[in-house]
Amino acid sequence: MTIKIRMRGKSANGIAEVKALIKHPMESGVRMDKKTGKPFPAKFIDTVQIMVNGTKAIDAQWSGAVSANPYLAVKVKANAGDKVTIDLTDNTGEKGTGSITLK
Amino acid sequence: MMKRRLFLKNSLATGAAVVAANAGLLIPTTVLADWNKKAFTAKTTDDALSNLFGSTNATDSGDIILKAPAIAENGAVTPVTVDASKMNGVESIAILAMKNPLPLVCEYTFSANAVGYVSTRIKMGQTMDVVAIVKAGGKLFKAKQEVKVTIGGCGG
Repeated sequence: MTIKIRMRGKSANGIAEVKALIKHPMESGVRMDKKTGKPFPAKFIDTVQIMVNGTKAIDAQWSGAVSANPYLAVKVKANAGDKVTIDLTDNTGEKGTGSITLK
Repeated sequence: MMKRRLFLKNSLATGAAVVAANAGLLIPTTVLADWNKKAFTAKTTDDALSNLFGSTNATDSGDIILKAPAIAENGAVTPVTVDASKMNGVESIAILAMKNPLPLVCEYTFSANAVGYVSTRIKMGQTMDVVAIVKAGGKLFKAKQEVKVTIGGCGG
């Protein structure tokens, strides 16, 4: 299964704000299951990479303390027509990719 | 009651360590190569910072705009925005929740074609300070804000 990403982005004066909504449980591995007394197994996105026209712009590392179904907004130097791509990997190796052509 | 709290807290911490160890065994190392495990599993902010930046010495800066709600009605989705676009040469931004069991929440590294700005939503277990650490020009700067987490939605 791949991680789903919804993206929006708009460029103004050479700077584009890119917003993304990611569908992911972000289970930290710390939260306890009251029925079994054991923690729920960790499953969270740990690496995020944002690229503009194939060039790396932002590298991010996350912990399980980022909210479930994460929202992310960043700013990159890009113009209308440029392609912004987000690549994700979670701690179980599951991946997701989303891309958008800026308006 | 207090003892029970402490017990829970300790068992949570060891549980997390076990899970982390298991995860390390199951996952091919290439996937986790980028992820700074030492910093993210550190239990104190100082440990997290020294593993991440190699220093804990950050100076307060008014150029960092840290936006977080004064009162969060739901600690599991606290919107946090860090805007360091006024600063020159921003290399990375880290967000820490001081009293979380694992304080380091996320860390962003910027290339030349990115702006030092990030907005996300984080989980917070209780009322605490949210701290943004910005690395710019090889130095560390910080800004913090207290967020009150109310449980039960009485908004007080």
